[in-house]
Amino acid sequence: MMKIDFSGLDPYMPVKGNAEDLDDEILAAPSFKLPVTVDFDGFQKAAVQMVKPAKGTTTLAFIFKDGVMVAADSRASMGGYISSQSVKKIIEINPYMLGTMAGGAADCQFWHRNLGIKCRLHELANKRRISVAGASKLLANILYSYRGMGLSVGTMIAGWDENGPGLYYVDSEGGRLKGTRFSVGSGSPYAYGVLDSGYRFDLSVEEAAELARRAIYHATFRDGASGGVASVYHVGPSGWKKLSGDDVGELHYSYYPVEPTAVEQEMADVPIA
Amino acid sequence: MSIFEYNGSALVAMVGKNCFAIASDRRLGVQLQTIATDFQKIYRIHHKLFIGLAGLATDAQTLYQRLVFRHKLYHLREERDMKPETFASLVSAVLYEKRFGPYFCQPVIAGLGDDDKPFICTMDSIGAKELAKDFVVAGTASESLYGACESMFKPDMEAEELFETISQALISSVDRDCLSGWGGHVYLVTPTEVTERILKGRMD
Amino acid sequence: MESVFGLVGKDFAIVVADSSAVHSILVHKTNEDKIMVLDSHKLMGASGETGDRAQFTEYVQKNVALYQFRNGIPLTTAATANFTRGELATALRKNPYMVNIILAGYDKDVGPSLYFIDYIASLHKVDKAAFGYGSYFALSMMDRHYRRDMSVEEAIELVDKCIREIRSRLVVAPPNFLIKIVDKDGAREYGWRESIKDAPVAAA
Repeated sequence: MMKIDFSGLDPYMPVKGNAEDLDDEILAAPSFKLPVTVDFDGFQKAAVQMVKPAKGTTTLAFIFKDGVMVAADSRASMGGYISSQSVKKIIEINPYMLGTMAGGAADCQFWHRNLGIKCRLHELANKRRISVAGASKLLANILYSYRGMGLSVGTMIAGWDENGPGLYYVDSEGGRLKGTRFSVGSGSPYAYGVLDSGYRFDLSVEEAAELARRAIYHATFRDGASGGVASVYHVGPSGWKKLSGDDVGELHYSYYPVEPTAVEQEMADVPIA
Repeated sequence: MSIFEYNGSALVAMVGKNCFAIASDRRLGVQLQTIATDFQKIYRIHHKLFIGLAGLATDAQTLYQRLVFRHKLYHLREERDMKPETFASLVSAVLYEKRFGPYFCQPVIAGLGDDDKPFICTMDSIGAKELAKDFVVAGTASESLYGACESMFKPDMEAEELFETISQALISSVDRDCLSGWGGHVYLVTPTEVTERILKGRMD
Repeated sequence: MESVFGLVGKDFAIVVADSSAVHSILVHKTNEDKIMVLDSHKLMGASGETGDRAQFTEYVQKNVALYQFRNGIPLTTAATANFTRGELATALRKNPYMVNIILAGYDKDVGPSLYFIDYIASLHKVDKAAFGYGSYFALSMMDRHYRRDMSVEEAIELVDKCIREIRSRLVVAPPNFLIKIVDKDGAREYGWRESIKDAPVAAA
């Protein structure tokens, strides 16, 4: 078995205290056995196809005057089949930081959990919380080291640190972008349409939450691969708080109450003027 | 992605006691993009005969127009409506005409015969008839529909119970399908009346 | 990349199209009119392969005119939509026209109407429609801000929102857009939204 060399990912800062006391398994960057095969790329391609649910998604996050608003839908689909309507796509990394999930569900869950561990260790070693910039970079570095091996992650890291609100977009291609407004997933173009037209920096928390919810709702309406529940989180100076989780099925009828009308025309006799 | 799944659809027909119901979803999509949520997939041939067309929307429209045309010719020549069995044979023949370049549609036919005996049947895209005594399904949500109908269907239901059953089966099935849903459309046909109802459903 | 969209307002319909003629990495011109005025009260916004678009829209236009010459009355918007669909559907199994169409018209007794017709000839009457990469942004934008009873000013404001969104979010956003409107007074150009100027061409 080959093993990937992860020495480059070891914590660059010496851990204070007695490092030997800490379990090696937690501290060391995780490593995975690689398959022994002649055609590694071919094997990867085939394997990736088998472990790739949660392709369709809508997630978004934006910074405004009172912090960061993070929202997502909750659908997981495999082809046309809806495998779940209650996926938690907003991952709570620690009380001050959230990650969103688009792409491979397992990849996102595992590496966010892993990031959570790293952030906690940083906190213990340095007696201060890790910055959002730092945390997102930890994740980006890991994902970059696996580039081309089939990981599928499109995530936003949102949080509050010493510099105020922070928001980064990180993906499995190795990209890491700092920004104030992102949307990720198959429904993201729809979400951007609503988000961009309603966004202002001086939004109140309530207005921002409604904008996020509405953007998710419109994306779930047009995008077949998004749906379920629109969850909205807010990250402020005292950490994140879940503001709402509305079933999109009910949300639609609260936005657009049904007005009783006659059945529409048949295609056959489209009104002949 | 299969061409049958390009627009997305869910269709089901059920037999009750001297009545039947036929139901469809209302979405017109282009792959994952929803274009409209008021799309008609069930068409009325005459007051006791309905056809639902799942599959590629354009072929459904073309096929429907050709079937109406053929039924009108029949009506002129015979001065009576077609029996459901006859109509099913017509649909089958029209489909098989295009054996080597098929209409990408799966029809569901439901009607009341002369003695008000319910008739339901489905076909593949080249006209292989499949008659059933209980229920038939078609479309992208057909697998879910099979499961729902298999567990919810009871023989000899009265009209109102039949409506409830078919509606629940449709709604719960399309909630597991990305490509169909966005509301439902149900026709309930008894010897004396035809009821048409629009179902509210999840719009995601 | 190509973006065509349209919507129905209180007593008018609007069609918007980008005006870029593109071949692989090359932009030939940025003031190409992709919205054909079919007759006095009809607009046909089309996107797709350049040749097919020009040929097909002109073919429809001439046939609509021919009908009017022969019968002394213009085709209704619904009839035109069905004619267009029929031609596309026939062509589909021979040599398909790669054109997506948004047909807007105004009929005296019906009012304004808008039809969605894609290149495989699915026809549907809608309030708002969009084709191309711009559709992702335009559709959700219109879903959010659209009302059936919009005035011209409100509708144009919405159209400008959509154009702004496409320009800012789409990688391959076209620089210029053309807006046309149809209401009781007829079909006409409403205005351009240009971010770069192309040399004017003498009318062909």
